Amino acid sequence: MDHPNTDVIQGTLDMLILKTVSLEPMHGFGIARRVEHISRGVFRVNPGSLLTALQRLERAGWLNSEWRQTENSRRARFYTLTRAGKKQLATEKTDWARRASAIARLLSAEG
Amino acid sequence: MSLWRQLTYGLRSLLRRSARDRDVADEVEHYFEEASAAGMARGLSRDEAKRDARLEAGSIAAAREQARSYGWENAALALIADLRFAARQLFKHRAFTVAATLTLALGIGANTAIFTVIESVLLAPLPYRNADQIAVLNTRYSNMGLTIPRVTGPDAIDVRDESKRLEAVSLYGGGHLGVQLRGHSAYAVVTLTDADFSRVFQVKPIAGRWFRSDEEQRAAVVREAFARDNFGSPQAALGQTVHVEGDAFEITGVLPDWFDFPAHTQVWEAARFNAASTNRTAFNFRAVARLRPDLTLRAAQTELNEISRRLAIAYPRANRDKLIILEPLQQALTGDIRPTLLLLWATAGLILLIACVNVTHLELVRSLERQREIAIRKALGSSQWQVMRPLILESLLVSILGGAAGVLLAFPTVHVLVAMAPKELPHAGSIHLNGWVLLFTAGLGVLTALASSMLPALKAARVDAAEALKRDTSRGMSGHGAATLRDGLVIAEVTATFVLAMGAGLLLHTMTNLLARNMGYDARQLLVVDADAPAHSTQDALNAVRQFNELFASLAALPGVEHVAGIMGLPTGNYGSNGNYKIEGAPPPSPGHQPSANFSVASPGYFQTMGIPIQRGRDFDSEDTYQNPFVAVISQSLAKQSFGSSNPIGKQIQCGLDSDKWMTVVGVVGDVRQDSPAEAPGPTLYMPMAQHPFYANQINIVLRTHVKPLTLLNPVQKIIRDTNPAIALRFTTMDTMLDQSMAAQRFRAVLISCFAAIGLLLAVLGVYGTMAYSVTQRTFEIGIRMAFGADRSTILRTVLEHAAKLALWGIAAGMVLSLMLARLVTSMLVGVRPMDPVSLASAASLLLLTALAAALAPGWKATHVDPMAALRTE
Repeated sequence: MDHPNTDVIQGTLDMLILKTVSLEPMHGFGIARRVEHISRGVFRVNPGSLLTALQRLERAGWLNSEWRQTENSRRARFYTLTRAGKKQLATEKTDWARRASAIARLLSAEG
Repeated sequence: MSLWRQLTYGLRSLLRRSARDRDVADEVEHYFEEASAAGMARGLSRDEAKRDARLEAGSIAAAREQARSYGWENAALALIADLRFAARQLFKHRAFTVAATLTLALGIGANTAIFTVIESVLLAPLPYRNADQIAVLNTRYSNMGLTIPRVTGPDAIDVRDESKRLEAVSLYGGGHLGVQLRGHSAYAVVTLTDADFSRVFQVKPIAGRWFRSDEEQRAAVVREAFARDNFGSPQAALGQTVHVEGDAFEITGVLPDWFDFPAHTQVWEAARFNAASTNRTAFNFRAVARLRPDLTLRAAQTELNEISRRLAIAYPRANRDKLIILEPLQQALTGDIRPTLLLLWATAGLILLIACVNVTHLELVRSLERQREIAIRKALGSSQWQVMRPLILESLLVSILGGAAGVLLAFPTVHVLVAMAPKELPHAGSIHLNGWVLLFTAGLGVLTALASSMLPALKAARVDAAEALKRDTSRGMSGHGAATLRDGLVIAEVTATFVLAMGAGLLLHTMTNLLARNMGYDARQLLVVDADAPAHSTQDALNAVRQFNELFASLAALPGVEHVAGIMGLPTGNYGSNGNYKIEGAPPPSPGHQPSANFSVASPGYFQTMGIPIQRGRDFDSEDTYQNPFVAVISQSLAKQSFGSSNPIGKQIQCGLDSDKWMTVVGVVGDVRQDSPAEAPGPTLYMPMAQHPFYANQINIVLRTHVKPLTLLNPVQKIIRDTNPAIALRFTTMDTMLDQSMAAQRFRAVLISCFAAIGLLLAVLGVYGTMAYSVTQRTFEIGIRMAFGADRSTILRTVLEHAAKLALWGIAAGMVLSLMLARLVTSMLVGVRPMDPVSLASAASLLLLTALAAALAPGWKATHVDPMAALRTE
């Protein structure tokens, strides 16, 4: 059986997380599911990498976290975007757009 | 902001480890719960949903581990764990730890102590403002390559008046002089200087002001301690009067105690230099100068060369080939002691090297013992670095222990060093351990840790797990490379120790040479009194001489005293003069080649008192007065130098000490070594006190006694005080003075010998360790040999031969190294050649014997191996 590659593109996980959390405060699984849904299953995030990335972003000052009740009344750690995180997301978005369009141009170039 | 979070979050998780773990675990668990909940929402059963989540996201444990291992604190924790492991290992192997720590403590302690002295003396800047702009003026005769650390008065004054690149030039001179305060008299270090002195040093008095140029011979500045001791406080000293040599000076200012130039000065008196002398060959003064800001020494020197050239044209007789040379003050102050300190530093370096070799050896033995442990670690997948890390950390811990012990050791060592130091050691009082020294020691510690763990760690990294696990070192099957390496270390150690022993041998030989030297006089049982009677006029001085003569008579009457005499120019003493002389009828010598001699002014009976033989003619007597014809006594060398084999008695001689009168030579006496035993006996011209009264009021009274000289101190003091309370006095013995004249040589000899002894001790440990280890390793082999009938002497011989072979290699290498280093110490040797066969032979035999002695115990143990027990050991 041939699995399609669902790995997140190297270096973009942070941006995907920041973007997802920018929509609303979310817990770890919520972020993973949202990334999967919106990408229509193209990207899947494994929990180990996700939680490590969340710690990193929090220590970088782009996310804050707190323990809260979920709607089905479980305790979960919710992440919210900070002001610095918002700025960072904007930078990464611009950066990504620039690179993606460059790659698109390169790939569509005809001899 | 983010750095702050990194730090605080990291610390929080370090301190509350379990809370962090729980947090991560909860979060991971929640993730999986949500995942299975999502599965159940899709209509799966509980178990199916769980399995599905695992399939999708991997195991809970793996996710937890991954999330947990994030953060710098985890690396820190790993380091702490490794350090704890290393500490436990060290605690378990206490013999190794103690041996290594003590070894390093000796090495690091010696280096810290020496570096403390070097830092304060050679490296720390002088405490004066822009001290690098201060320089000393020296005089160099370019034709003779001779540099005199002094200047003549007229030369210095010309430089001062003509130079535009020197901001200020100050002349100074002086020494121990009699100072009178309220009718009581004492010796103090008095510096005669000028108003420019304060412009050169730019030091601010703590009270009052520096004297002005119009206060010559009227004003003085004193040191804080002097002011406190004599007047109660610096403020109280202002306006008070202090008498130096009977002249009155008003105190205008007080300098702080830290200001110590020239060394130990208590009174700076305003002297008159301008008209002092027109003689351009009498080097009576020292001079210091401050360069204009932003000018280099080289620029100022260029100008001085120009001035020197002009002076040479203006005064061709005296100033031909004469150059005034600037030397940075710090260099001038430390020039004498620098080679000694650098020698000591090099020696301490060797000690540290030996210590490192020893520790390397100890660690090598340890790492061989733990080859199995390393092999297992490797077999379990440790990387090279992970295998090396515990070894390096262990070594680091040992160096920290050794360094700490070394610093503790350095405190008393520095005290001993300073106490023993010869008087050339400048600002000895300010030598103490400081931050720089501790930094140096810390650096040294890290370096030794790396150096001594390098070999064992690299060996550990190269361990082949499969091979090592198969091999069993206790069966004598250790790799051959390890043994060669250990032998090499022992040879290196013996080499370094040999160099030390050789150095110690040479310096000790120098010392015994000095002690055994015939000084030309008998130094035993001589009490020496420094006596300084103030005098202003010729009449005063003549009175002083008469008074001294009366004193000599009454002192000679004291029980226990055999002879008494007075002398200006006592060997190894503070006073003395020297210069050129002329012989009547001799052809005029070429400039720069005039005959010269030491000048001494003596009372009748001086030669008898000192035990200097009168070889021809007579001593001075009471008829040789100021009014009668002038006479002189010359020493053997002077007679030979100027009269050859003809009889000098009755010849006329003249010198520029104080009068141009011709003197008739009336006697010839034996030569003395004037300044120290290291000096060759030289020509001396003796003149009677009564005919040179201006050089006869500051004298040494020498008393030949047949009791212990210092027991006469009180009666002698009483007689002199009763005669004239204004005479300042100091007491010592000729033995002590001689002893002090050898302080530099003794300092070096004692220290290098101590270092050599430490080196030897470490080498003994090294040889013993290697032998003991190899015997233990070869127990099995020895057992087999003995089982096949080898007798004990053969076994013992094998061990001793091995040790001897190593020692001989080391000695041979040491000889080559000593040969290469010999020229560094040549200037410190007296009567010994750098390749002195006696020192060479004693160093070689000492090391060989030591190596054999160190091997004896392991060898003895080897002969007592029980074959049956050895073969059974596992």
